[in-house]
Amino acid sequence: MAQSGSIPLIKTSNLVKKFGSFTALNGVNLEIHPGEVHALLGDNGAGKSTLIKILSGVFPATSGEIEIEGKPIHFASPRDASDAGIGTVYQDLALNALTSVTRNFFLGREITSFNSPFGLMKMREMDRIASEEMAKIGISITDPEQAVGTMSGGQRQTLAIARAIYFGAKVLILDEPTSALGQKQQMEVLKTIKRVQKLGDIAIILITHNEIHARLIADRFTFLSLGEVIGSGTAEDLAGDDIKTLMAGGAEIGDLAKELETV
Amino acid sequence: MTSSTELRQEADRHAPKKQFWAMFVRPEIGPIGVMILLFGMLGYFSIPAAESTWNPFAGEGFNALGIRNNLRVISQLGIIALGAGLLIIAGEFDLSIGSMIGFAGACMAMILRWGFAVLIPYISFDGGVHVEYFTIFSVDHVTPVWAIFITMCFTLTFGWIQGFIVVRSGLPSFIVTLGGLFFLRGLTEVSLRAFNHRPDQSAGSTTVTEIPDLKNIIDLQGHGELSRLDAKSLPEADLVNLTQSLSTDMVATLTERLAYTYNRVAEAKTAIMETKGVKPLEKALENAVQSGNDYMVNTIQDKIANFSVDPVVPKTVSDVDVARAYIDTIPTVNQVANFFGGNILEGLFDWLYYPIDWNTNNFGNQFAPGLYSCVMIWLILSIFCYIVLSRTQAGNWIYSTGGNLSAAQANGVPTNKVKISLFVFSAFCATIFAACQVFEVNTSDAAKGNLKELEAIAAAVIGGLVMTGGFGTVLGIIVGAFIFGLAREAFFYIPGIDGSFYRVFLGLVIIASALLNENIRKRIMGNI
Ligand SMILES: Nc1ncnc2c1ncn2[C@@H]1O[C@H](COP(=O)(O)OP(=O)(O)OP(=O)(O)O)[C@@H](O)[C@H]1O
Ligand SMILES: [Mg+2]
Repeated sequence: MAQSGSIPLIKTSNLVKKFGSFTALNGVNLEIHPGEVHALLGDNGAGKSTLIKILSGVFPATSGEIEIEGKPIHFASPRDASDAGIGTVYQDLALNALTSVTRNFFLGREITSFNSPFGLMKMREMDRIASEEMAKIGISITDPEQAVGTMSGGQRQTLAIARAIYFGAKVLILDEPTSALGQKQQMEVLKTIKRVQKLGDIAIILITHNEIHARLIADRFTFLSLGEVIGSGTAEDLAGDDIKTLMAGGAEIGDLAKELETV
Repeated sequence: MTSSTELRQEADRHAPKKQFWAMFVRPEIGPIGVMILLFGMLGYFSIPAAESTWNPFAGEGFNALGIRNNLRVISQLGIIALGAGLLIIAGEFDLSIGSMIGFAGACMAMILRWGFAVLIPYISFDGGVHVEYFTIFSVDHVTPVWAIFITMCFTLTFGWIQGFIVVRSGLPSFIVTLGGLFFLRGLTEVSLRAFNHRPDQSAGSTTVTEIPDLKNIIDLQGHGELSRLDAKSLPEADLVNLTQSLSTDMVATLTERLAYTYNRVAEAKTAIMETKGVKPLEKALENAVQSGNDYMVNTIQDKIANFSVDPVVPKTVSDVDVARAYIDTIPTVNQVANFFGGNILEGLFDWLYYPIDWNTNNFGNQFAPGLYSCVMIWLILSIFCYIVLSRTQAGNWIYSTGGNLSAAQANGVPTNKVKISLFVFSAFCATIFAACQVFEVNTSDAAKGNLKELEAIAAAVIGGLVMTGGFGTVLGIIVGAFIFGLAREAFFYIPGIDGSFYRVFLGLVIIASALLNENIRKRIMGNI
């Protein structure tokens, strides 16, 4: 599955991000390939969210380069990144819980007559597209006018993913999509991710603290610790113990057990 | 293992929508109920105690004049409630609306009264240090359109500045517009005093009066432009000439109408005289019944039954009358002034008088000439706001800006533009309100619009909006304005209670609405 020979969809070289004197990222190199689920793992504060925020244009890197399909690129805003095909599903999903599924699906990109903010929205067409797109990755909604607030966490996640894909995401970034969900809904989301992968050439960057989830669906792993890459490899390369240790930033779980005893 | 749960889908968990019941979970349903209650109260309590009827239009509340006056209060409040409401949906406040009304009204009135000039002050040293002005341009007579336009330039800019400060500084709009509230009210008073010089007005006054009644200026053949009042008091010979210059059709229609009016007036006079004559007899009858004098009772009853006064003879229609009636039908030359300060539906209200005979007062004259045109302006603005908020991309942006600011930003919604535009729109609504007042009464006062911002916000809350934003509809805002505007009138007519209870009532309604709205919002957010 790994197309190591081809040009990566996204390639970062020596990304550095400083918040004042604090170095959140210290020279990160990353390659994301089409059709792959790439797990980005690491302890709290390792810099995962910082890395994807740079990739999705929320803030610029202090230094370093980002290439998309071999071309260096600079994002001035989240809009630039999404135009370049990077669709980000944030931890808070960027949904307005008070309005309907359709209104959220098209938020910021509504289909209107005359292409003007004051043109009427083509509600029926938008309803249809929203339902179809969500059905494609596994959720049927009966009522596109349902308020998002009344949907389950898994459904919301699907909505946010479907939205990103529909609006041309070549790279889908998912920041801890399963962290707030119950067992069944976690599985729904993993299935959704699998279905997205099957759609074709979309690359997925998955941030998670759940080793089992990573192992279940990821094709490639990158481990971050204290702002640096401490390990990477394909699913086949990595043995069971390695992942847990690397996820903890190199600390042995065995050490942790000893530490706990001293408390 | 097979189990039935495997076949179930998430979608199956939603019961199919029941259209009828769905109506009752709409956020507007509570306010609509209160509104209907108030309509009923106003209708029935305003019916005089002596009459017993189930027709709510029988009382003062909903006779022609009652409708005219109530709708005026409601629609004026409704106009600013739209501006305040959309802003609240986007998550911000505007406390400067009331002062903005005062400022805009004063600005418009001063321009209409004294003209407009752009001056540059500089310090002159000739003959002692003092300030001189260099006039870039000045006009003495400004048309209503330009007066409104110039005022808009000031008010919309001020709205823009408030919005800009809010989005740039991240300060709560409460504070920023609170500043605006004091700033504008002060500025209005200061400039009114500065411009009020003798001999025009007494110095130091904070009112502007003697603005010509622009909406009633007509172009009369052979006399040029003059006000209707002046036209009607032209020499009688001129008026007779005018009548003779009219087409026979026109004269016939006008004569017929005037004859109708004179007949109705005569009838009303007769009726009044009859009741006046009968009253003492009825009093006597009462006494007779009490004293038990059957003979007296019978004679007085006879007298009452046969009582009649000579019917009053209607006036005859003269040429001068026709001319004056004709003057009332000539369209104004200041359509803009009339648009804001004039009447609408005059044809309908004429018809309700002649021939329907409902729009008739106790003296037989036509009761209300029409509705105030601010009702139409409110309607236009409401439709516009409804379409924008519910049907357009801009509306979705407004909801998301208030509902979840960071989500809106992450999806590329220009939330700052949305907010600033709505601050500007709020200023726009306040200016429209001021224009309606100025062109209607032809005066302005620095105190105009006092506390209106709170009324507008209250109307919006009653109509189902939530202070944190993202929630509410234009229909709700409209209903809120109705409730707020009707409450005072409705309580005024309740027998035996103090009229000020309407405030107590509104206070309770505001709190109840806020609780209800918050509950509905939480329900939608999935927190309940
Ligand atoms: N805007 C900011 N200003 C200053 N420091 C920041 C900022 N954003 C993040 N940091 C710091 O950068 C470091 C990396 O944060 P980041 O959110 O990327 O971690 P993470 O790997 O996503 O952690 P988690 O697993 O808890 O989500 C943290 O120490 C955090 O405190
Ligand atoms: Mg994070």
